[in-house]
Amino acid sequence: MRIELKKFGEILVSRPAGKEAFLAMSAYLTKGLSEKEIIEIDFSGIKVLTPSWADEVITKIKKKFKKVEFLNTDNPTVKATLETLQKYSF
Amino acid sequence: MENIEKQAWQWISERAENVDISSENYCKTRDIFQARLEKMTRNSLESGKVDENKVYMASAIAGELGNNSFDHNIGNWRDIPGTFFGYDFYSNDLLIVLADRGQGVWATLKNVKPNLKDDREALNIAFTEIISGRSPEARGNGLKFVRQSVKELNFHLDFYSGEAKAELNKKFSVVDSEKKVSGCLAILRVKR
Repeated sequence: MRIELKKFGEILVSRPAGKEAFLAMSAYLTKGLSEKEIIEIDFSGIKVLTPSWADEVITKIKKKFKKVEFLNTDNPTVKATLETLQKYSF
Repeated sequence: MENIEKQAWQWISERAENVDISSENYCKTRDIFQARLEKMTRNSLESGKVDENKVYMASAIAGELGNNSFDHNIGNWRDIPGTFFGYDFYSNDLLIVLADRGQGVWATLKNVKPNLKDDREALNIAFTEIISGRSPEARGNGLKFVRQSVKELNFHLDFYSGEAKAELNKKFSVVDSEKKVSGCLAILRVKR
């Protein structure tokens, strides 16, 4: 399963928006998937990502699925956010 | 002091009845803040005055700081809800200011650390420890992200709350503030 984050916006910054995105994903994208499913999170097209938004989405997906892969992480805010989550949340 | 900075100081220092809530920099709700953050990002990129990657990082920092105002003061503003959010270019540098008339960092963190002794200790902990006034929710990584990003990109951030000021650049320090700020005030300088 590939999740394209740009479908949730280009500037992803707040926790409430992240919570809403995760709920939508859970209802329409990841519902019924086995925890062994490979989840690809595609960051292409994202301009601004913050730890607050990502903590509500990426951290929860990482807890739910065993194999989570990150694609197209070149944007500096994506890199910095993933580093922050790696250090404090995952 | 630049004009936008003066406006932020004025916004946070005035008596409530004198605050200009018709200002285009006033974001009463989070949705308005989000829309203006997107506009700032777009305008900054179109100006070509600041490197693209720095614009994205500055937007992420402003996003964290602005949303913190809403996260920690919702339902508990001292008087005027929302944030003052402004930006401008000076000598090709981008200056971003954010201010809220909320509870401030010390009062917020005392919910989880009742023994915190003053504003300086509160600011120091806010930027260095994983802690959030919204415990038991697991959160509190935003200001650590801000601190690390400012350091790596050679930005400069002055963050005021109460009688303390955190100065962030390559180094991090907390000192007494020259003026008391009831709430929070952040001044971010992004060098070209």
